Amino acid sequence: MAQSGDQVVDQIAQLNAARNLVLGDAAFYPQIVNGVLPIIGAHSRVELRRWGTEFLAETFASPAFATSQKEQLATNVLQTVRNILELPEEDQMVLKNIVQTAASLYPLVFRHIINHPEARESWEHIEAIKQDILRRWDSFSYPVRVCCIKFAQRVVLVQTHGLIADPRRPEQNETSLAIVPRNHAILSLPNLEAESSGLLDRILTVFQEDASDPILVNATLNCLAALIRNRQSIGNKIINAILNFFPARQARSPVTPTVRVGVKSMERTSRALLINIMKRNPSHPLAGKMQQHIERLMQSRIEPADETSRKRGLPSEPTDGLDVAKRAKLSAELPPVIKIPPLPPGRISYAQLFTLTEDAGLSSFDVKQLPAEILVKIVVPLLARVDQSSLNQVVDAVRMRYQSVQKQQTTQSQPAAAEEEDDYEPEYSPMDVSPAEDQLGAVSSELAGEQPDLVSLGPFVLPRPPPLSEEQAADAGRDAVARVFDMLGSTTVTPNPVKGQGQQFGFSRLAGSTFDRDAWVTLLTRLATRAPAGLEAGPKLEADNPARRKPNISDAIRETLYRYILEDFRGRVNVGIMWLNEEWYNDRIQMKLAASNRKEEDEEVSVPLHYDHWVLRLLDGFLPYLDSRDIKIFIRFLSEIPEVTIPIAKRIASLAKDPERVNLCVQSFMYLIMFRPPAREICLDALEEVYQNYEESRPSAGKVLSRWRPQRVEQLQAEQTTLVNRTLNTQPPNETITNGFKDPRTARLSDSQTSSDTMVS
Amino acid sequence: MAYDPRLAGAGTAAPDPPTPPPPPPSTASATATATKASASLEQADSFKLRFCTVCASNQNRSMEAHLRLSTASSPFPVISFGTGSLVRLPGPSITQPNVYHFNSTSYSQMYDELMSKDERLYRNNGILNMLDRNRNVKWGPERFQDWVPGSPRTDHVSKGDKGALGTEGGVVDAIITCEERCWDAVVDDLMNKGSPLNRPVHVFNVDIRDNHEEALVGGKAILELATRLNEIAAQEQKVLGSEGWENGTGEARRSFDEKVPEVLASWQEKWPNLPALWTLAWL
Repeated sequence: MAQSGDQVVDQIAQLNAARNLVLGDAAFYPQIVNGVLPIIGAHSRVELRRWGTEFLAETFASPAFATSQKEQLATNVLQTVRNILELPEEDQMVLKNIVQTAASLYPLVFRHIINHPEARESWEHIEAIKQDILRRWDSFSYPVRVCCIKFAQRVVLVQTHGLIADPRRPEQNETSLAIVPRNHAILSLPNLEAESSGLLDRILTVFQEDASDPILVNATLNCLAALIRNRQSIGNKIINAILNFFPARQARSPVTPTVRVGVKSMERTSRALLINIMKRNPSHPLAGKMQQHIERLMQSRIEPADETSRKRGLPSEPTDGLDVAKRAKLSAELPPVIKIPPLPPGRISYAQLFTLTEDAGLSSFDVKQLPAEILVKIVVPLLARVDQSSLNQVVDAVRMRYQSVQKQQTTQSQPAAAEEEDDYEPEYSPMDVSPAEDQLGAVSSELAGEQPDLVSLGPFVLPRPPPLSEEQAADAGRDAVARVFDMLGSTTVTPNPVKGQGQQFGFSRLAGSTFDRDAWVTLLTRLATRAPAGLEAGPKLEADNPARRKPNISDAIRETLYRYILEDFRGRVNVGIMWLNEEWYNDRIQMKLAASNRKEEDEEVSVPLHYDHWVLRLLDGFLPYLDSRDIKIFIRFLSEIPEVTIPIAKRIASLAKDPERVNLCVQSFMYLIMFRPPAREICLDALEEVYQNYEESRPSAGKVLSRWRPQRVEQLQAEQTTLVNRTLNTQPPNETITNGFKDPRTARLSDSQTSSDTMVS
Repeated sequence: MAYDPRLAGAGTAAPDPPTPPPPPPSTASATATATKASASLEQADSFKLRFCTVCASNQNRSMEAHLRLSTASSPFPVISFGTGSLVRLPGPSITQPNVYHFNSTSYSQMYDELMSKDERLYRNNGILNMLDRNRNVKWGPERFQDWVPGSPRTDHVSKGDKGALGTEGGVVDAIITCEERCWDAVVDDLMNKGSPLNRPVHVFNVDIRDNHEEALVGGKAILELATRLNEIAAQEQKVLGSEGWENGTGEARRSFDEKVPEVLASWQEKWPNLPALWTLAWL
């Protein structure tokens, strides 16, 4: 045995010398290969076969060795290659080399057979090699399978139609079905084509598998470029298969670093392949889709593979049945849900851990005061009757509390040691340490006394401050609002971003986009209208003690907003419109919510509606200052507020009291009548009233009314005339009223003409 | 300052291979009396993956890695390339780089030229040191796109390029790029080459910033990655050599290729600041 071992080593040394020779001069290849073949055959030792097959793979792949010579030599080695392949031993290294060799041999032998139809024996050999490899493909060990992909790619490349570069010089055309004569004695075009089509499908199945292996996928992707580039007939099929492949889908939990490497590599390789295709052929019909796919790959990469936070988030959901909401959905009979008060912040005692009642008297009651026998008398029957589900609930509650406390303690003592830089811990910063200790000492000195050693052990989270009273909270809220308004007032021109404010309210995403004045106004209006909506526990509560709830922060903001707008209503009318729209919207939402929350049919639901109140206040606020030149601003206001009500119409009508503003009043009505159908009737009614009550309005109001309510106008006119006649008034009825049906637009035009005239005057 | 101190250290750490005879005969004589099993074990121990390092100009990062790999205590066969269109070296200002052609200009020529241009400048910005290091590693910068895989590189062995031993066949088992742009260029170029060799090759990227300090760190990291890869490859050889494929069990049965993503993942955890990338391509 040792003797033969020595021989092998010697032989390999000689073989290596021969290899160095051909590496130096490729002309020796035929001579060396033919000489080596008997040594490395199927009957030789495995070491020699390993060396030999590697040498064959290298030979037929070598760019230094001319193709025509390779073709001649190829037929010589087929028998040996086939015999080694068919050996039962399945040595991985040998097989890997053999499959690689076969991939290089296949086009050579195929070409040889095209030109030598009589070489039936060679065809039989290569066909047997091919079938054997394809049959055993899936049972091969991993590295061999990778090589099989490449072999199949070679076969597909050969057995499809390629381009004929120059029909006059067949030796320059690449090997493909295109150069096979139709009447070839051995090669049957339809069969070969069918085989390659099936083989291509087999190659592409790697993209359809549920759990694709990144190695096989990458190996496939990286060899497809040649097929797409050189074989138009199958190019689109391959591209479509790639377009339907999403590596990110392969990322099943748990996403280990290895999975991440795999997914990323498949994404980047897909991208590289698509870019390679598009670079070669920018006007490819599928270029648009490929571009899209590349972009989608970039996006999807962010989700499962790179960003672990989302994946990590999922398991933190309570899955142990402790989640009350979940259990409620599952079980038919609902156990009474016991309200578990949250633990007080900071360090807690065992008593606090187990106290589930919020009743102060009950929790301060000392059981030890009772004599033991009485206690037994009470507790034993109580235990017998205790509701199982309630008991489970409270036990779970205490367990949860205990676990969370434990977790807190461990996370507090760890961070110093942990090396992970990117762990986001908003609760913890080393700066907190010393104040936390001070605070702790002050707040719970008796607790610190119990376990003084723990205090010195590590950093502590700053205990939460005692909860603010409602008043304090409201004060703080008002302060904040006042600051924002101050800022709005002080920076009329330059926008002044004060980030902290926005973040304080949790609206940073809204205001964060622009940080200009408008963004802050938006923030404020929403703060006034929507923010407290969730805080109002229910309509019932609101109804019970409206007095106490009234002076809340939102009303304070409203009041301030109101004043802010009135300060310069011409400039800030858009703020008013925005605000009122928010109010109206919020009213609808609240009504809807209240309606859906209503339990009993007869229960009266009342929702505090703000819109009506504030629109009137605002109107009342600026109407006195409105003059006839403000018509555009006023009409804009009326047209853009969400709803025109009767009281609003009344306020508009009141403008007619002032002879100077009659025109403003009528114009506003006309606009609303023409362009605001829901408010049309209300406005017409109001206009009629104006018509009746204020003489100055009649010329213009009559025009409008005659367009929309001709009968009524006639009636009114009749009344007027009788009135006039009766009072012997000599004023003639206005002629313009009878002008009748004008195009509303021209009517409006002429009216605005007159109004602008008055403006000039 | 005239000589890169790292070179001296590396030189003592590993013996320079001064055009020794081809390795297989020497292994053969060393193990001439060994039994078959120990012979194959020996082979597995001395098993070396062949590497290729790639950066933009084949000057700084790829050459630092080339030096590291070829002068490690257990040296690897290694070749190196650049993917840029031209070799660019910093000049007196950012708009006046020194530009050379790949494959035709040697590191020595560049060294002499820059030395005569402005010795002080190029000494101070480290370019001369770098070129001096490079000219002791191999003749000149080579362009990846001009590389013909499988084309014999026996002349590099005879020239005494560091790491040339074992790369005579012109093939490598793993390519390590130093920048994502280079990885893209390498993968793209391998697709364009049409994989005539039908030979799988692992292509890694280790993102290294292009300065001397980062190149040092990156070179160390690349050497570690190469060592880890080689360990699993040698393990596979050992299993195949001594017991045969059928006899291996569990972890040992899993092939080198299968373990590559795991190796890269665990390497990445140790080197989180050098983002890595990988694919299996074809030569």
